[in-house]
Amino acid sequence: MNTGQIISGAGHISLIAWALFGNLLASEPIPFEVMEVTAISEEQFAAVMATQRTPDAAAEIAAPQAPDMPSEAPALSSQVDTAPEQPAPDAAQSTTPDAAPELTQTAPPVEAEVSDEPPVLEPPQEDMAALVPETTLRPKPRPVERVAPEQVAPPEPDTAVDDVQREEVRPDESAEEQAEESEATAPEEAATEIVTEAEQAAPSKSVRPKARPARAPAPEPAPEPEPTQTAETPPEPSGIEAALAAAAETSEPTSAPTSSGPPLSAGETDALRVAVQQCWNVGSLSSEALNTTVVVGMQMTEDAKPVSSSIRLISATGGSSGATKQAYEAARRAIIRCGARGYNLPAEKYGAWRNIEMTFNPEKMRIK
Amino acid sequence: MMHRFLTLLTVLFTALLIQPAAAQDGPLRIEITEGVIEPLPFAVPAFVADNAAAEEAARNIAGVIAADLTGTGLFREIPAKAFISGITSFSSPVQFADWKAVNAQALVTGAVSVDAGGKLVVRFRIWDVFAGQELGSGLQLVGTQDGWRRIAHKVADQVYARITGEGGYFDSRVVFVSETGPKDKRAKRLAIMDYDGANLTYLTDSSSIVLAPRFSPTGDRILYTSYETGFPRIYVLDVASVRRRELESQDGTMSFAPRFGPDGTTVVYSLSRGGNTDIFTMDVGTGRSTQLTSAPSIETAPSFSPDGRQIVFESDRSGSNQLYIMSASGGEAHRISSGTGQYGTPVWSPRGDLIAFTKQSKGRFHIGVMRTDGSEERLLTASFLDEGPTWSPNGRVIMFTRETQGAQGAASLYSVDITGRNLRRVSTATGASDPAWSPLQ
Repeated sequence: MNTGQIISGAGHISLIAWALFGNLLASEPIPFEVMEVTAISEEQFAAVMATQRTPDAAAEIAAPQAPDMPSEAPALSSQVDTAPEQPAPDAAQSTTPDAAPELTQTAPPVEAEVSDEPPVLEPPQEDMAALVPETTLRPKPRPVERVAPEQVAPPEPDTAVDDVQREEVRPDESAEEQAEESEATAPEEAATEIVTEAEQAAPSKSVRPKARPARAPAPEPAPEPEPTQTAETPPEPSGIEAALAAAAETSEPTSAPTSSGPPLSAGETDALRVAVQQCWNVGSLSSEALNTTVVVGMQMTEDAKPVSSSIRLISATGGSSGATKQAYEAARRAIIRCGARGYNLPAEKYGAWRNIEMTFNPEKMRIK
Repeated sequence: MMHRFLTLLTVLFTALLIQPAAAQDGPLRIEITEGVIEPLPFAVPAFVADNAAAEEAARNIAGVIAADLTGTGLFREIPAKAFISGITSFSSPVQFADWKAVNAQALVTGAVSVDAGGKLVVRFRIWDVFAGQELGSGLQLVGTQDGWRRIAHKVADQVYARITGEGGYFDSRVVFVSETGPKDKRAKRLAIMDYDGANLTYLTDSSSIVLAPRFSPTGDRILYTSYETGFPRIYVLDVASVRRRELESQDGTMSFAPRFGPDGTTVVYSLSRGGNTDIFTMDVGTGRSTQLTSAPSIETAPSFSPDGRQIVFESDRSGSNQLYIMSASGGEAHRISSGTGQYGTPVWSPRGDLIAFTKQSKGRFHIGVMRTDGSEERLLTASFLDEGPTWSPNGRVIMFTRETQGAQGAASLYSVDITGRNLRRVSTATGASDPAWSPLQ
């Protein structure tokens, strides 16, 4: 141990000892005065101030005059007050007693009709619980809804017209001094009013649409029910089951056409997710189907509607084939129902959402 | 060196910034984790009558199917007045646009005819309206004309199974104790009915008290306890012939709380002798019994697991009634209930994953379910007196007895989904208690 540590240790010990025994940390309560204060209203305060206000001095105060007194004293009399006359009660009116009620022969009690049949039991009322609103002295203002119930894509920024007209500046290798590179000011809109696409005249000719990508052949329509006698007859494999079998056989996911273009923003993706969630009804699914996560692929039209025939099961985890089938059908219903009028997707980013893979994970919706 | 490092860092940072704006490869991928839980809207237009003899049945069958599905709480019927188009021919294509417009997500179409032999022939199809596809294939059912309700229940079972992915429970029956008369002088008799209260039939008279009827795994026999001799004795009754016989018993003992094993030949029950109650099994054919417990406490209300390997029962060996599980051959039992209150009448689910029970806590009775290891206990009901749960054949619904308070209190049957939703009173002509649900017929 070197000298510095010894000195430091001794110093610290001294400081601690002084703090403990040298009344460094002792403190006496600071004396303070207590004054009783009463809160009064503004009217009371005004009344108090009014009483303490100095009265206005009157300019001239008239002296009170003594009333005129008669010179002679009034005459006094000592006549006794006579009692007021009271009318004597008519004794002849209320001498007869109340007539006794007329007693008649008491009828024998009627025998009660007792049937052997049990009374009809009213269904008991179910237990009901109601939340009693807490009473408050003053209603609180309703909070303003600050978050939109649905996520929406952020609006496009407004285009600001530049006040200064600038020309494009390009680097000129021949120039001695290179000017700063800048873009030319964009010209203003050519039209003076907004013309919607529907109001425009139809084009005289259009490019023939591209053929759809090849996909699995559609399942044949189900045949007429066979004249079987029992309900236990195993159903014929449907198109869904064939798709399930195909999905089970191929370990590789179905190859979808590659999308290109700028991706969707987080807000746009969330808007699509919320839209599908609103139609994903898992209330009628079995417990096993609620343990099954399915990945569903689809193609979209340019007006943001799902192509029903392109909806396919890509993969499934967690359930049997039967549960996978129910989970897939519920997911398919959700996609078609809420996409019937087209999802809210930016048309200029069609390349980003032309092909979509949705994973339906019911973990949070599970019945335990 | 430092300059090169800064250049590299700048390049990496720029690449990270530029990446989101770059072209997207592959499909857009999103994950849906939140959905809605609401009844699925469906439509069942009246079935088409192929001949005049089938007109009444065609009208009635659609009504029973709709009632079955709506009663589950999982489906919502779209009223007929909302239909845009009807079904006039079973073979005509379905106008999906019309059904989409009324938001029918499932559609059931069918036709009914009476064949030359007087048999009722019912054909039906189930459609996924928004997908524009048929769910499964069409089916045809044949039965007697009197059995049109059973045929309707079978159609509803198929609809339920194809949409939910689990078996139905509509073509089943319930045996229960019918109760009439005042509370202090109540007459009790065994009765059997369809699960929805239709086709009520009495199996015994009210000359003696009967308790705790239980179906066999095939639904053809019923075990129950009767005080016919003054002491509780176990009887087995054949449902078809309504004949009964007493199971083997010993003098000076009381036998009660019987329940079939999954093989249908073994019965597990409680036997009280000398003030102590233990659990026994008996071979129905030979009458030979085996003692499974021998504790000085009361062990009763045994119930087999679906695989027949274990038995859950109630016991007061810890000082209060709790639930225990032991091997079907007896031996050491382990407690599974751990909450406050008293537990009783455990019943193993047909699926094998849950155990339903009665719980008494803080002056209230509850019907609840828990995992077979005692975890995830959930109370589904609460009232003055709820007891005696029984499982639907698919393990999705529980029926039980609810008794109201007071001298005029009466017992009636209720059902509830295992989620705790859809609590409903089961319609019965009289007071009713001690229900037991049959397997699917």
